[in-house]
Amino acid sequence: MSLLETKDLTVRFGGLVAVDQVSLSVDEGETVGLIGPNGSGKTTLFNAITGLYPAAGGEVVFRGERLTGLETHVIARRGIARTFQSSRLCLQLSTFDNVLIGLYAHLRAGLWTALVRRARFLGEVRSALGTVRHLLELFNPDLVRRGFDRAGELPQIDRRRVEICRALASRPRLLLLDEPSAGMSPEETAELMKDLRVVREEMPGLSLIVIEHDMYVIEGVSQRVVAFNYGRKIAEGPFAAVAATEEVREAYLGREEASSA
Amino acid sequence: MLTVWAAEAGLFVLVVAALLAERPLALTATVAAVAAALALLRLHPGLRRTLSAAFAAHPRAAWFGGAVLALLLPVALRHSPYWTFVATMALLYVTIGQGLNFQIGSAGVINLAGAAFAGLGGYTVGLLTVTAGVPPALALLAGPVVAAAVGALLFVPILKTRGHYLALVTIAFVFIFNILVNNLEFTGGPQGIKNIPTLRLGGHAFTTPLSVLGLTLPYHANFYYAALAMAAVATLAVWRLHNSWLGLALNTLRDDEIAARCSGVPVARQKLIAFTVGNVVIGLGGAFYAVMVGFVSPPDFDFGYSLAMLSVIILGGVDSIGGIVLGACLLIPLPERFRFLHEYRLLLYGIVIVLMLLFRPGGLWPASVRRYGAGGAVSPR
Amino acid sequence: MPAPEIVLQQAFNGLMLGVMYALIAVGFTLFFGVLDVIHFSHGDIFMLGAFAGLALLGLWGAAGLAAAPVVLPLTFAGAMLVTGLVGVAAERACVKPLARSAPLMTLLATLSLGLVIREAILIFYPRGADPKPFPALLPAGGFDVAGVFVRYENLAILGIGFGAMIAVDLVINRTRLGAAIRAVAQDPDAAQMMGVNLDRTVDWTFFIGSALAAIAGILNGLYYSEIHFIMGIMGGVIGFSAAAIGGLGNVYGAILGGLLFGVLQTMAAAFIPRGSEFRDVVAFAVVMLFLIFRPTGILGEKSVERV
Repeated sequence: MSLLETKDLTVRFGGLVAVDQVSLSVDEGETVGLIGPNGSGKTTLFNAITGLYPAAGGEVVFRGERLTGLETHVIARRGIARTFQSSRLCLQLSTFDNVLIGLYAHLRAGLWTALVRRARFLGEVRSALGTVRHLLELFNPDLVRRGFDRAGELPQIDRRRVEICRALASRPRLLLLDEPSAGMSPEETAELMKDLRVVREEMPGLSLIVIEHDMYVIEGVSQRVVAFNYGRKIAEGPFAAVAATEEVREAYLGREEASSA
Repeated sequence: MLTVWAAEAGLFVLVVAALLAERPLALTATVAAVAAALALLRLHPGLRRTLSAAFAAHPRAAWFGGAVLALLLPVALRHSPYWTFVATMALLYVTIGQGLNFQIGSAGVINLAGAAFAGLGGYTVGLLTVTAGVPPALALLAGPVVAAAVGALLFVPILKTRGHYLALVTIAFVFIFNILVNNLEFTGGPQGIKNIPTLRLGGHAFTTPLSVLGLTLPYHANFYYAALAMAAVATLAVWRLHNSWLGLALNTLRDDEIAARCSGVPVARQKLIAFTVGNVVIGLGGAFYAVMVGFVSPPDFDFGYSLAMLSVIILGGVDSIGGIVLGACLLIPLPERFRFLHEYRLLLYGIVIVLMLLFRPGGLWPASVRRYGAGGAVSPR
Repeated sequence: MPAPEIVLQQAFNGLMLGVMYALIAVGFTLFFGVLDVIHFSHGDIFMLGAFAGLALLGLWGAAGLAAAPVVLPLTFAGAMLVTGLVGVAAERACVKPLARSAPLMTLLATLSLGLVIREAILIFYPRGADPKPFPALLPAGGFDVAGVFVRYENLAILGIGFGAMIAVDLVINRTRLGAAIRAVAQDPDAAQMMGVNLDRTVDWTFFIGSALAAIAGILNGLYYSEIHFIMGIMGGVIGFSAAAIGGLGNVYGAILGGLLFGVLQTMAAAFIPRGSEFRDVVAFAVVMLFLIFRPTGILGEKSVERV
């Protein structure tokens, strides 16, 4: 049984069909690359899986249970985490805070403990910070040193890392990465590739779906690639095969270019 | 440690002098001293650093010193029941401010109906004590409960409406509250509710003078100490909530609701919790006001007061626990001290908000990064 | 069920009120269109217009001018100039600088600015706390139509009000300035790239919107024969709600919303027991309900958050 399965998933915005009867599956431990031109529905797919957009048709099944119709925070607690195209960090909060929130579902201390049993609360703070430090250290020990600095003071590549740490903190089974290399230089992209390898090592059973425009990254991390166009899945398979598919080349390059290339 | 205490004592002397100086000589001396102190701080970064370091190194001593001075204030002001009263009002605004700040600053739930929730607390006390004969201490506890319960009416708008619409809904709410208490018979109409009985502790009625260290303090001091306790509890509670997983979740959902959702935060529930906790604290402040002043009437809880509460928050610092204390202590006594300003009070508050938002949106004491109290005290800059 | 003539009469009265609300609402909607902000002090600009009108009337009186056909247009023009300029000043000092930061800031800043304007009138206008009688300058008398008594002054108010709205419509749809306003409302960056001067367009938008508020303010004074420094609060809340009802950014929606609100409020005051006492409560309650259940308005608003 696959970890995640979408069956004929459809998302509509008024008259526009953004995701058109998409069926795909991801197994445990797999990394799937998701490619396609801008506006082909890739991020919308992520949003539908995580419950931010309602499904107009079809369903999403995760670990054997239906996700469609559930609220986003419930889905997150089931074990799906994600990053965003324009990284959504709380820039006014500390780096530690930005990762700590990823632990939210696992934190036990409630209002009463925080108000009245402060020592017990602080115990959980210490252990949570320990987890956070460990995660940040995997990517950049400097982040630990500057853990109480506001996230807004970090450079772009570090912000991406913090976002990934936040996603990892929840110990997800499935991680959705939305264009992690967006806005990065080639050097930073190489760093990102290393980061993704670190993620793999840290959580071997973790499944990933990675939306990317940078084919170098896709080729480097995916075991399987799915290509989108106009909200529909148009190809699936190993990178080389998908990249060579006529329809995929057409989607990116246009009809004439694709045939002449 | 001595540096900390010396600084606090110096501040105390300046404040008391600033409040009490009447004769031209004393007045000039005080103004000169305050100006000199401010100038020194402004022009000597070394001095600021020494002070910051001293306070950061000795947080416990700072708290102790501050507490002692706060307890001694009514003694220093014992010849002026008026200023004791003003100091108590400042503490009241600290309490209410912490509650409102938790809603607006921490959770991003814009609540312009603060005056209505204070009014709910106050009117509950008035109605229970005068109409139903409930002892004031009990009524005091009922006030916040009523405020929180009525606040549930706003649950739906808080969840369904965005920023500026929610603001308008809360404005409508405070106006409806005001018009209703003004026109309904059981709330006493435009006259309000009078003769609210005062608090009693043991046999001691709060309207009798207080004896401390062999000195006689005006009866207002009773309320000052009660308000000090209330403000201290409110501040501590809000601080602990701010530095808890709830506080973290609230800040996150304030800054980026989608990221919060995707991290598993039940956004709706947290917002409602923050809103309710805030209303409990605001309602408590309003209830205390009723017992202290002895009567409540519609003009005491109108939209202008919502804006006054807001100005305390904006001046002090949005989402800043310390900022609220600073904001209340600055904004409440000032129009009282400068008599001519009294008429211009609301105008002043409005100007303060606009200027602060344009030039120092973080407030005079901006919120610092959350440390959960597990390593390093909260310091002003 | 009250007699049809009474219903019609109240509806007609409501239309009077509605015209004034509509003029205020158009301002709100224009401001939202070009800067994506709710200019909360606009209601107090409406009040300022009424007071400016009153002050000017006093001035003309002192100068020996009293004839309505001479004095009215001068008053309108003068008040429109005053509020237009104050509106632009407010925009430049307070609204535009904050337009890029969190919406909460603009909201609080404009709310406070409104407070400042209100308190300034209270404090600085002679005996500002008292309601001030407004001279009756519109023709008296009227005529009967199907059981409804139509006053000439009502016709004048409707005429001036609708005339203003038609003028605004012409400006927005038939002039270059209007085209610029529409362009900025749709996409400020694209508009700039097409050569539109953003700052000047925003300035003009605020001038026009604020001037409309002055017209509403004077009409309000003429209708009720009195003005009060707190009239801006209700005017602002209702004007904003009317604009929201019609869909923020949509001028026709704002007009529709204003008219609707005026009619509804007047009918409610007339036909609900103790309605006139609780007239404002009803208005606010309607506002709340509407904002809660249909916040994007009848004709739809423009804005979407991208994930």
